[in-house]
Amino acid sequence: MRTVILASLRTHTRRYGAALLAVVIGSAFIVVTAALSSAIRDGLTAGLGEPYDGADAVVDSPSPTETARLLDAAAQSGADAWLIGWTMEQVALDKGADTRTVVDTSTDIGQLPDRPDRRWQELVSGRFPGGPGEAVVDTNAAKVSRIEVGDGLRIGTGGDALDVTVVGLVDSPSTYAYASVYLLWSDLARWQDSLVTMSLAWADPGDTADARTAIREIVPDAEVVAVDAFVQDLQKEVNNGVDLVRIVVLLFGAIALVVAVLVINNTFTILFAQRSRDFALLRCVGATRRQVLRSVRLESFALGILSAGIGVLTGLGAGHGLVALVRAQWPGARLGEAEVAPVWLAGAAAVAIGVTLVAAWLPTRRAVQVSPLAALRPDDSTQARTRTGRIRIALGVVLLAAGVLGLGAAVATANVGALAVGGTAVFLGVLLFGPILVPALIRSTTPLTRRLLGPAGRLAAGNAVRNPRRTAATAASLLVGVTLTTAVLTGMASSRSALTAEMDEQHPIDLAVTAEGPLPADTLDRLAAVDGVVAAVPVPGVLARIGDLTPLPLLPASTDGDAKVLHDALPTPGPRQVLVPWDLIGDGIEVGDVVPVTVGDTTRELRVVGGEGWGEAALVRRTTLEQLAPDAGTQAVWLRAEADADPADLAGSVEAVATPIDASVENGLAKRSYVDLQLDVLTGGVVGLLAIAVLIALVGIGNTLGLSVLERGREHALLRALGLTRRQVRRMLATEAVLLSVVATVLGTALGVTFAWTAIRALVQPAIDGAGLVLPWGQLGLVVAIAALAGLVAAVLPSRRASRIAPAAGLSLD
Amino acid sequence: MTSLTSPQPPAPTVALAASARGLTKTFGRGDTLVHALRGVDLDLPAGRFTAIMGLSGSGKSTLMHCLAGLDQPTDGSVTVAGQALESMDDDTLTRFRRDHVGFVFQAFNLLPMLSAEQNIWLPTELAGQAGRDRDLRRRFDSIVETLGLTARLTHRPAELSGGQQQRVAIARALLSAPAIVFADEPTGNLDSSSSAEVLSLLRQSVRELGQTVVMVTHETEAATYADDVVVLADGRITERRGDAA
Ligand SMILES: Nc1ncnc2c1ncn2[C@@H]1O[C@H](COP(=O)(O)OP(=O)(O)OP(=O)(O)O)[C@@H](O)[C@H]1O
Ligand SMILES: [Mg+2]
Repeated sequence: MRTVILASLRTHTRRYGAALLAVVIGSAFIVVTAALSSAIRDGLTAGLGEPYDGADAVVDSPSPTETARLLDAAAQSGADAWLIGWTMEQVALDKGADTRTVVDTSTDIGQLPDRPDRRWQELVSGRFPGGPGEAVVDTNAAKVSRIEVGDGLRIGTGGDALDVTVVGLVDSPSTYAYASVYLLWSDLARWQDSLVTMSLAWADPGDTADARTAIREIVPDAEVVAVDAFVQDLQKEVNNGVDLVRIVVLLFGAIALVVAVLVINNTFTILFAQRSRDFALLRCVGATRRQVLRSVRLESFALGILSAGIGVLTGLGAGHGLVALVRAQWPGARLGEAEVAPVWLAGAAAVAIGVTLVAAWLPTRRAVQVSPLAALRPDDSTQARTRTGRIRIALGVVLLAAGVLGLGAAVATANVGALAVGGTAVFLGVLLFGPILVPALIRSTTPLTRRLLGPAGRLAAGNAVRNPRRTAATAASLLVGVTLTTAVLTGMASSRSALTAEMDEQHPIDLAVTAEGPLPADTLDRLAAVDGVVAAVPVPGVLARIGDLTPLPLLPASTDGDAKVLHDALPTPGPRQVLVPWDLIGDGIEVGDVVPVTVGDTTRELRVVGGEGWGEAALVRRTTLEQLAPDAGTQAVWLRAEADADPADLAGSVEAVATPIDASVENGLAKRSYVDLQLDVLTGGVVGLLAIAVLIALVGIGNTLGLSVLERGREHALLRALGLTRRQVRRMLATEAVLLSVVATVLGTALGVTFAWTAIRALVQPAIDGAGLVLPWGQLGLVVAIAALAGLVAAVLPSRRASRIAPAAGLSLD
Repeated sequence: MTSLTSPQPPAPTVALAASARGLTKTFGRGDTLVHALRGVDLDLPAGRFTAIMGLSGSGKSTLMHCLAGLDQPTDGSVTVAGQALESMDDDTLTRFRRDHVGFVFQAFNLLPMLSAEQNIWLPTELAGQAGRDRDLRRRFDSIVETLGLTARLTHRPAELSGGQQQRVAIARALLSAPAIVFADEPTGNLDSSSSAEVLSLLRQSVRELGQTVVMVTHETEAATYADDVVVLADGRITERRGDAA
């Protein structure tokens, strides 16, 4: 038996190529994930404790006001405190010329400790600030934004804007505490309301206990932690975060491996079907069933070991290569060293072997059930049309029915469990129905392919459906990835439209330029002329005194032509109401207060309502404004940007007009595009991870086609003898692959959209009013187009091979 | 059996349907070098039934493959229907086969996923004559009736007996009235009565349609149906028997 195993391994190894590739991709993915996550962890935990060097105690996430109080108190009491946290502000770069370019509409600004010996940032060039008006910039951030020592920065917008000079570049030993720009507290304090404080380090002249008492005296309920304990907790938190991300990523690896199981299973099924006469012959000449079984099991085991080895090595190479590449090209990503623990290597190898064995289990069992007599029958395996079992169909019906019920229940009850169970059942049902469904779909395209491609097209459609189970199994592997991808795309598009509606409401104006006094006459024209602005509307207004607030521009909630710029209507104040920006509420006036609103000598008593989205101004009814200021001049200009305008560029150009006349700019566009970007990143990430599964499935299509080509050698030779040209043979096989991949993709898209629709009905609609299904036609079309193209690519090797063979050689094939 | 009616003028004007000069074919190299054909000169007159005989491994199939343009000879020239094959590239050769040569093989003659009728029409369809003019249709009906396949047209090859499959292959080969039909052991898989049926059908097509048929066989019994017999041994022609009918 040993000679048989060795000989068959030698002859058939090449046919296992695709199965091998599928397992290699899957197991390499695991190792790459381990390498990347270790590098991320290393990067995140490196220097975690350094910002706390010299501290006696740490206050865990104090509120903004507590932070400010603690810092001020420390400065007075002789203790020393500094915060690890940041505020997000717009940063504009001033290279000395008149122009100022907005680097980023939202950059993290951190604190540089006042005392030089507390500064955990490492100076790379220049010097540390000597006083207010000076800043240091992280060297990686500086490189990306082309900031140099000596440049001027304008941080923030409107009245809070601060002009600083960059005096040095620094590096951060800690990724966790890192910010792009660091200011002294005296400069940073102006944004203390919007500070995000992760922690505050406190160095006391006394010991930890003294520090605790001192802090508690200022903020009685502060959460004070010893430095070591805090850093340890932080470490644990980072580890947990990385672990969580790794689990999520490995989930996609698991999906890819499921697809790999389908591909390998298909490979074994096809190969064993082709070799069933060999097995029968072996049985005829005296091999027992056990012997045959052992030989094929050993064969699959050998394949598993081989692919495990290659997969692990490939993963190691790719993982370390990727980390090295990222570290060299994008130091800002702050990756650390990659180090894959042996347990991961062993795990990936075990998974590879396990997947192969599991996938080979059924086919090997079927292979040895062949009777010795089969060797004597003259028919060849290509003619054996597999019949779809009754049990399979019955089970499919049951699963489909149960699944549809489950999905219905999920929509009715908004139950996540019902959704998952129902979705899985429907999917499995469709898989079981595959041998009927997929060939039927392919057959329905025959008139089209025949019209387009003539006889080659008809032959292709016939070939694609002649072995329904094989066709279905091949389609199934692609179905998994495509269903998930299109479900994600549709779900994201639907959530995006729901979010967009919400963003429209929150930020109805792309850019609002608001001045403290009447705007110069040419301002409107200059703003309208800015590149990327499609509409500009002048808004009348007047400076008003509202309660105890510093005088604030008072604007009407509606003006002539404001529909040209608004994404959504502004909130309408009542006749006796005034809308005050949320960030001004709390400092002297509260929502619900009735306050005097005074312009000149006219005063109205108005009730305060909170709101935002129109800049630094208060809104009243148009009639109210007319009563207060009958001849108000233009006080603000609202702008509508082009759909794809860059918010930073646009902000720069608009501020170039606004700053000289002391007008503030509210950039709603930046906030909208930030949300857009987050969604893009999320969609891209998920689709990118799913791409691994799709890739494996495409390898599977090429594989099925390649193996079928092998077994149809004689037929191709016959066709060539009868007059099919080489090109027609190639076209025939390419058509077969495209038919298969497109039908699987269309089916998967239908499933994916259905699942997305049920998920939205069940989960999103109860939460967000008016969230409906939005079909991203462009993206779905792209998925089908890519599948068709990939089908073509998958057919390249098999069809070249098939068309190269000379007809005479093919006729004598066995 | 009804007689085959010929819609076209029977024999082509060329006296020779095919000829070979100095035909040589070797396989492999070095130790594994095999001389399958060693300089074969052969003329196949039009309108005759020629049998190529010889022991197993004597080069019969190789000769047929070279004559039919299925394989490239190592040396020598082949002319079919007045056209030299060696000057043709693969596509031209394929089209030439499609239009001028018919085939019947020992086995695996038919495409398993096509019905008998689809198999018969296949070369015509490959040639792009999807319109199927009325003459061709009439010829199809008469051939199918003669070969007794009328009731079997919708069946797939797997549902046909070996003899029926060969008859479908013959119908396919005859449909386009090719200059020459090559048959490689067409009766190799058949019992004696099916063999006799197939062989007399081939002879009938020569007699009544003026078809040229070249058949490879190693059965002496089969060769008795032929007009001429050529015997091959070790890649050379050792005997030619022409018993004019
Ligand atoms: N593709 C090939 N590669 C190598 N040798 C070949 C090949 N095809 C044929 N041969 C050799 O060429 C010689 C002639 O083979 P051919 O098939 O023409 O014989 P044949 O007369 O048809 O035999 P049979 O009656 O058994 O079919 C044989 O020795 C065979 O081994
Ligand atoms: Mg032969």
